[in-house]
Amino acid sequence: MKLLTRRAFGLLVLTVLLAAGLLIFTVRYAVNASDWAQHPTNKHLYSEGRLKIAGILYDRNGTALLQTEDGEIKYNENKTVRRALLHVTGDSYGNIVTSIPVAYGDRLSGWDPVNGAYRFHDKVSGFGSDMTLTLDADLCTAAYNAMNGRKGTVGVYNYKTGEILCMVSLPSFDPENRPNVEASPEKYEGVYLNRLLSAAYTPGSVFKLVTAAAAIDRIPNLDTLTYHCEGKKLINGTEVTCPSAHGDVTLKEALAQSCNIYFAEISLELGGKTLQRYAENAGFNSRLTVDGIQTAAGKVDVSEAEGGDLAWAGIGQYSDTANPLSFMAYVGAIANDGVRVTPKLVKGKGLSSFLFGANLRQERILSRETAVKLGALMRNNVIEGYGEKNFKGLELCAKSGTAEVGGDKKPHSWFVGYLDREDCPLAFIVVVENGGSGSKVAGNVAAKVLKAAVERQTDGK
Amino acid sequence: MNSIIENGNQILDGIRAWADGVVAGVAAYLSNPIEFVEFYTFVVRWIFPILAAAIFFRCLLPLLRSGGANRIWGFLEIKDAYRIPIMHWENSIGRSKLSDIVINLPFVSRSHAVLSFGEKCWTITDLASKGGVRVNGETVDGSGSVEFGDSIAFATAEFQFLPAEEGYESLPRKSRWDWFSKLGRNLDSNKTFLLILAFQVLGGIQLYLTMGEAATVSVIETFLIFIAAECVYYFVLSRYGRKYRELELLIYFLCGLNLFVVASAKPGHLTKQLAAILLGMMVYAAIQLIIKDVGRGRKLKYLLVGCSVVLMVLNLTIGEARFGARNWINLGFITFQPMEFVKVAFVLAGTATLDKLLTARNLTAFIGFSGSCIGALILMRDLGTSVIFFGAFLVIAFMRSGDIRTIAFISAGAVLGAFAVVTFLPYIASRFQAWGHVWEFADTIGYQQTRTLIASASGGLLGVGGGNGYLVKVAASDTDLVFGILCEEWGLVVALAAVLIIVFLSVFTLFLMRGCKSSFYAISACGAVSIFMIQTALNVFGSLDILPLTGVTLPFVSNGGSSMVVCWALLSFIKAADERIRPGREEAESAAEGLTEGEGV
Repeated sequence: MKLLTRRAFGLLVLTVLLAAGLLIFTVRYAVNASDWAQHPTNKHLYSEGRLKIAGILYDRNGTALLQTEDGEIKYNENKTVRRALLHVTGDSYGNIVTSIPVAYGDRLSGWDPVNGAYRFHDKVSGFGSDMTLTLDADLCTAAYNAMNGRKGTVGVYNYKTGEILCMVSLPSFDPENRPNVEASPEKYEGVYLNRLLSAAYTPGSVFKLVTAAAAIDRIPNLDTLTYHCEGKKLINGTEVTCPSAHGDVTLKEALAQSCNIYFAEISLELGGKTLQRYAENAGFNSRLTVDGIQTAAGKVDVSEAEGGDLAWAGIGQYSDTANPLSFMAYVGAIANDGVRVTPKLVKGKGLSSFLFGANLRQERILSRETAVKLGALMRNNVIEGYGEKNFKGLELCAKSGTAEVGGDKKPHSWFVGYLDREDCPLAFIVVVENGGSGSKVAGNVAAKVLKAAVERQTDGK
Repeated sequence: MNSIIENGNQILDGIRAWADGVVAGVAAYLSNPIEFVEFYTFVVRWIFPILAAAIFFRCLLPLLRSGGANRIWGFLEIKDAYRIPIMHWENSIGRSKLSDIVINLPFVSRSHAVLSFGEKCWTITDLASKGGVRVNGETVDGSGSVEFGDSIAFATAEFQFLPAEEGYESLPRKSRWDWFSKLGRNLDSNKTFLLILAFQVLGGIQLYLTMGEAATVSVIETFLIFIAAECVYYFVLSRYGRKYRELELLIYFLCGLNLFVVASAKPGHLTKQLAAILLGMMVYAAIQLIIKDVGRGRKLKYLLVGCSVVLMVLNLTIGEARFGARNWINLGFITFQPMEFVKVAFVLAGTATLDKLLTARNLTAFIGFSGSCIGALILMRDLGTSVIFFGAFLVIAFMRSGDIRTIAFISAGAVLGAFAVVTFLPYIASRFQAWGHVWEFADTIGYQQTRTLIASASGGLLGVGGGNGYLVKVAASDTDLVFGILCEEWGLVVALAAVLIIVFLSVFTLFLMRGCKSSFYAISACGAVSIFMIQTALNVFGSLDILPLTGVTLPFVSNGGSSMVVCWALLSFIKAADERIRPGREEAESAAEGLTEGEGV
């Protein structure tokens, strides 16, 4: 029988193949079962393509943003709240792919790997399927109002815990009274895009925060180094312009007055490769994952750039683009002594978030000294440049940006920064598309939002 | 410090949120009345996976105890020197390491002779050796009979052929897998059987409660008769059988799942399916009785091959088409799939005893029979079954010839042929078109597969409860998509256990190989199990889009009378290959004592 035992090889091959197939299925199941279950033809969860019943979506204060019962979707009763949070609650047709019902459909539907689509007594368990977000609906509404209908985005997050408090993107609409989006393409341009997560804009002068970080680390005699600004300069045949002639400026003055010539010169001094490294550390050319939702990637490509291109890149023009959330996280890192806490959107349930590592992801992207120096410069910007009286009591550190977008369009208006306060460790970003002057337009929005945020934060909400 | 307080607060928050949730939940549930069936499902869906896992392991471990033959049929003795035990009914003798009795002497050929037992006497067959074989001094030409006490000489090596003495009936064997064997020695099959009954009773109640209008007394009767039949058969096995009982237990478990699936998908078929299971059990017992003697087994082989030729001709002339394949015969009072029954003949047709296998290397008859089976299947447009036959053919042909080149040649030819078939038959080609991208054809040619995947995901690990699934509404789900039904209603754990049981049948057969009495049993067991394996792969992976969907049944689980009976028939070949005698009560007790003593120390 030894002979036949050996010749039973064929059967062994079949056995191994069958076992391998089962393994393939098990792996596919582990990875994809959630997607399979979410297929709209699944009668356990859907009827006529809509979730039969789903968990409730709450903001951090327990305001219900979205409920589903018997296939009916109910949003918040306030029209402005609905508009401010459109990109969070989605539009009930799944057009907004970064919205919670799309990204967390499995969780809201009550599906889980152990119980599948089983429901006791046709109810989803509140504990398992309800979701609480880190967002503050009222703050989002305040930000939405402050934007006053202009396109753009506002983001506020806690740079110590990573919790995003405010995430607003415009244009927007009321999902309960859906307008005809296709009829006015201008008005609703990119309405399904959450600009905080998924847009990438030319950053303009806010990028100087990246160039400045590189300079602080790499230029030895930085405190005494000055460059002369006459309002414009020809570099390798390319003209770099500055809004006004600043004369001899140090880094501190250059950042406060946003002097292009200074940063052009210092970029040439640093070289493309160094600038590229610092940009990538700051989060360019990579995506952040916010509780499973990926952001768009900002882009910087200067490792081969020289002369005028490199000079323009160092002041946030050239081919640079920045993702607002990613840049906000960079500013958060400056605030948090160089450690970037990845922003998050879903508030962990107390017990599980504690047990399973609280999904707090931290990464040091700047040295402590650099972060502190940069922070001091940003504080100086506010005092010298933007006017402390506009941001009274906020302990604001900030940088504005006015990003040229070409053509005859007005530049994008940026304002980024953070509050240097133990009780309100908040970093923020405001982008107003074609808004004009950064510190005036975006700064104004920021002032309103931050005041509201501090009020709510210190009220204990 | 702060972080500790914060974490503490978080925990308190969590507990509070959870408590709130529970209170709100309970309030919500109490606001409208809950039916009993909901509570029942809520509880038992946790019990099924636990029972399934327990049953699986409690059957698996005892079956893999003490491998190889543990019975000695006689000895070859060199006078006043040593003796070689004869462990099989067929023993190859020679210098080769692959011989069952290795005689490492010059003049002895690598493959010298076969000593075999059949028709109540021992025979020695000379395999055209150089030195020749002599019995009591007389040269054996071809084969000749030997009796205990005779002297047998292989070239110059002379042995005395002696009978086995008392006490060599069940020989303990030592191996490096002893630790594994020990795992199974305290598992009582009676308790395992009770677990299976519990699984079936709880599952039957679950189905009865969810069936609604279809719930009739006949459903209860079906389950009760099935359970009674199991009990009777188990009692007979315990009382009169000496072999391990776990193999039957595993199949009882699968048949129970079969009834669950049928009750959920086609309640009207329950009675028919029960009849098929009972008939299958009888066929199983009958075939075992017949092939106990290899000679009778051979006669059965010729009888069945003859019958199956008739069946195939009948099928080709009066066959009916269902789901595209013309593989049904309707005799007015009964309809069946003849090609299912041909499988049994096919497996037997491949068998041969070791002396035949080593003297006549001729495979022509078997190749001819296989070729006509596969040809008939292609005419019937039954692609799945022809793949099953072809796969089993490869396994058996390799066991018969041991020649990998021939097999590779045949395979290459078959692949080309299959390619041609797929190209020319658009009906089959469309199945291949969906393969790998079923989600793009979710509502057309990928309908069945996507619904199976959705159902499997909807079940989770525990299932939504028997009778609560939606996959049963899809056409042919009770045969082709049965894995999806198991996943959806009974959970992934139970479904995987069902498939792993079939994988285990193969491991078990491989494990038995070394100890087989006769190559007749070895080949038929391998043939039978390879049919199970290919069928399982085509069925399960076809429905899950890992292979193209071909529409074959899952052994023992799919709805289908012919299939069920034939699976039992094929199982009898596996059972026949198991020569081991289960440890008696005394032995089991002494083993248990040994263990308790060991623990005492």
